[in-house]
Amino acid sequence: MMNKRTKLQSFMLYALVIALVVFCIFPFLQILSTSLKHPIDWGNPSLIPKILHLDAYKELLGLMPPKDVDIPASIQRLLDNPALSEAKKQALITKFTSGGDVFSFGRYMLNTFVISLVTGVCATFLASLAAYAIARLRFPGQSVMANGVLFVYMVGGVLLMVPLYQMSVSVGLASSVAGTLFSLFLIYLIQTLPVAMYMLGNYFRTIPFSLEEAAMMDGCSRVEAFWRIIMPLSKPMLFTVFIYCFVIAWNEYLFASVFLKQYQDFHTLPLALQTLFTSKNAIWDRIMAASMLTLLPVIICFMLANRHLSGGLTEGGVKG
Amino acid sequence: MSSVIIRNVNKSYGTLPIVKNLNLEVQDGEFVVLVGPSGCGKSTTLRMVAGLEDITQGDIDVGGRTVNDLPPHKRNIAMVFQNYALYPHMSVKENIVFGLKKSGADAQTIQNKLADVSEMLKLEPYLDRKPADLSGGQRQRVAMGRALARDADVYLFDEPLSNLDAKLRHHMRTEIARIQHQYNMTAIYVTHDQIEAMTLGDRVVVMRDGIVEQVGSPMEIYLQPTNTFVATFIGSPAMNLIEATVNENVLVIDDYHIPAADIANVDLTELNKHHSVLVGIRPDFFEDSSLNSPSDNVFEFNDIQVDLVENLGFDKEVLFKLGGEDSKARLDLRSHVQRKEHISLTVDLNRVLIFDTSTEGVLLNPGALINPTDLSDPNG
Ligand SMILES: Nc1ncnc2c1ncn2[C@@H]1O[C@H](COP(=O)(O)OP(=O)(O)O)[C@@H](O)[C@H]1O
Ligand SMILES: [Mg+2]
Repeated sequence: MMNKRTKLQSFMLYALVIALVVFCIFPFLQILSTSLKHPIDWGNPSLIPKILHLDAYKELLGLMPPKDVDIPASIQRLLDNPALSEAKKQALITKFTSGGDVFSFGRYMLNTFVISLVTGVCATFLASLAAYAIARLRFPGQSVMANGVLFVYMVGGVLLMVPLYQMSVSVGLASSVAGTLFSLFLIYLIQTLPVAMYMLGNYFRTIPFSLEEAAMMDGCSRVEAFWRIIMPLSKPMLFTVFIYCFVIAWNEYLFASVFLKQYQDFHTLPLALQTLFTSKNAIWDRIMAASMLTLLPVIICFMLANRHLSGGLTEGGVKG
Repeated sequence: MSSVIIRNVNKSYGTLPIVKNLNLEVQDGEFVVLVGPSGCGKSTTLRMVAGLEDITQGDIDVGGRTVNDLPPHKRNIAMVFQNYALYPHMSVKENIVFGLKKSGADAQTIQNKLADVSEMLKLEPYLDRKPADLSGGQRQRVAMGRALARDADVYLFDEPLSNLDAKLRHHMRTEIARIQHQYNMTAIYVTHDQIEAMTLGDRVVVMRDGIVEQVGSPMEIYLQPTNTFVATFIGSPAMNLIEATVNENVLVIDDYHIPAADIANVDLTELNKHHSVLVGIRPDFFEDSSLNSPSDNVFEFNDIQVDLVENLGFDKEVLFKLGGEDSKARLDLRSHVQRKEHISLTVDLNRVLIFDTSTEGVLLNPGALINPTDLSDPNG
C-alpha cells in the first residue's frame, strides 16, 4: 500500500485521472447535449442546453402525435424567404410533414436487439463448450485448434466482406431474407467466438479441477460435472461474454451494410443511423438522440457486467 | 460396504514409474492407512482406486467386481480431497446432500442423513452458509460430511487433515477414529503423518518411492519394522540407528559390549555373519537407570554424556552421542538429568532391533516374533 503519497502527488494523480475520464466521455456528453438542445441552441458551444428539448427522443420513440411532425427550423427559414414561390413552399411543407418517410427507430432497434440477443446466446453457449474442451481435455490437434481460432482476428473484416457475401450468394443464402439474416448471424458468431472462447477458457482454468473430480466422485459424469459445477461457477464470466458478444453484434456495421443493403426493413441500428445521417431527416438533435438511444443498451450492459464481475464465485472451494 | 483388492498395480507417467507392483487387500469394514513421505505415490494409488487416474497395469476390484474400466461416478466410492474441493456456489447443506441426491435417495433419507452428519460433525449452525464463509476447520468438516453422507462402498481420504493447524488436526483425528468405529466403514486413508497412521489405522501400509515397504497393524509396524526406513519413519522421535561392530556374539558400540545373546529379536548365527550392523533403539525404550528396579534383560549404558535436554512437559528428550551418532532418549518427568551431566541409561534388550548395514533389512529371529497380546505394553 502506498499510504505515503504526498498531497501534490495525489493531486497530480487525480488531475490525470480526471483528464483521462473527461477525454473519454466528452464525445458522449456532446451527443447527449446536442440531442437535448433546441434547434435555436445548436450554435451554442456550451454543453448545457439552454432549454431541455425532448422532441427528438419523443419522435424517435413514436411518442409524438403524428400531427406534430414539425417543419424543421432550417426549412422554416427557407419558407420565410419571400423570394420562394407559393407552390414551391407548399411542396416543401408536404414533403416535410408527410410522415411517410419517418425514421422507424423502434423497428430498427428491435431488429438489432433480436440479432444481438441470438448471437450473444449462441456464441456464449458454443464458446463455453469449446473453451471447456480446450481448457480441460487432451486431444490431438488441441493447441492448433486453440490458436487457430484466433486467426480470424488477423484478417480484417473488409477483406472478408466480399468473399463472404459471394459465398452466401453461391450457397443461395443471400437470396432470401431468412438466409441473409442467417449468414449474418454465422458471421457474427465467427467474429465473437475466438475472444469468447479465450475469455471463458482462461476462466475455466481458474476453477480447480478437483471440484469436477469431487462431482465425479459424487456420481456425476464428466458432462454432468460441467453443467452442475463449471457452468454455475462461471456465471459472472458467462454473463460478461454474453454482453461482449451482444455488444459486438449490436454495433456491427460493415457486414450488416453489405448483407442487409437491399432489406430496408431488417436494417440494424448502425446501418439505420448511417442512413439517417444522409437522409432528409438528418437533423442534429434527431441524429444525436438516435445515437444516444443506440448507445444506451451498450452502456447499461457494461454497467451490469461491471457489477457482476466484482464477486469471485469460486472462492472458498479449495484450500490453498 | 465392500472390500478393495489391488492386484499387481503399476502406474507410470510417460516412462516414469510412480507406483510399482502394488498389492493390497482391504477387508470389508477395515480402515487401512497408506503412509509415506511426500511424493511416494500415495495419492496416485488412492486416485486409481477412485478412478480419477488410469491404471497402467494390474487390476483393482471393489466389492468383487473389477473396476479398471469403470468411470469414477459408477464406482460408488466417496472421497475426501486434501484441498476439500467444496462446491463454492452451493451452501453447506447442498454440498453435503449433493451426492446423495445424485444417487436418487428419497427426500426422507436425505433429510435423515443430513441431520445425522451435521450433528456428528457439529455443522448445524453453518448449513446455510457458503464455503467461502467458513473457517478451514469448518470446511474440512463439510468435506468430511459430504463423503460420510453418501452410502458408498468405500471411503477414500487424501490427507484430509494436512491443512489444519496442530490442535484442530488432533481433534479431527479423534473425531475420525470415533466416526470410523461408529460407521464401521471400509476406508483407505492417505497421510504423510505417521501419528495419524498409527492412531487411525486398523492396518498401516508404509510406502516409499511407489513400493510398499511394510503392511501391518500399527503396533507391528512400530515394534517390528522390517527395515530401517520403516523403523525411522514410524515413531517420533525417530528410532536411533547406531553402528556397532560384531565381535563373536558381542556388539561393540564405543566402549560398551552388548551381549547379543540377550537380544531376543536377532538370530545369533545370522548376526555373526556380519562384520558391522545397525542397532535400532527407540528413544522411548531408554530409561533412566536410577529410577528403575533392575529387571532381567536390560543393558546399561553407564556413562552417557548429556548434550542437550529438551523439556516437553511430561516427557523430556535427551540428546547424547552413542557410537558417534547423535542419539535421543525420551525420559519422563521423574528423571532430573541436566545438560553436561553423565548419566546411566538402561535399555530393554527385548526391544532392540538389529539391521543389516547394507540391505537395511532387519535381522529377525523368526522364533522371537513378539506376541501380539503384549504388543500394547512396550515394557511388558
Ligand atoms: N500428472 C502427473 N504427471 C507426472 N508426474 C506426476 C503426476 N502426478 C503425480 N506425479 C508424480 O508422482 C509422484 C507421486 O505423486 P503422489 O501420488 O501425488 O504422491 P503423494 O504420496 O505425496 O500423494 C510424485 O513424484 C509426482 O511428482
Ligand atoms: Mg498426495
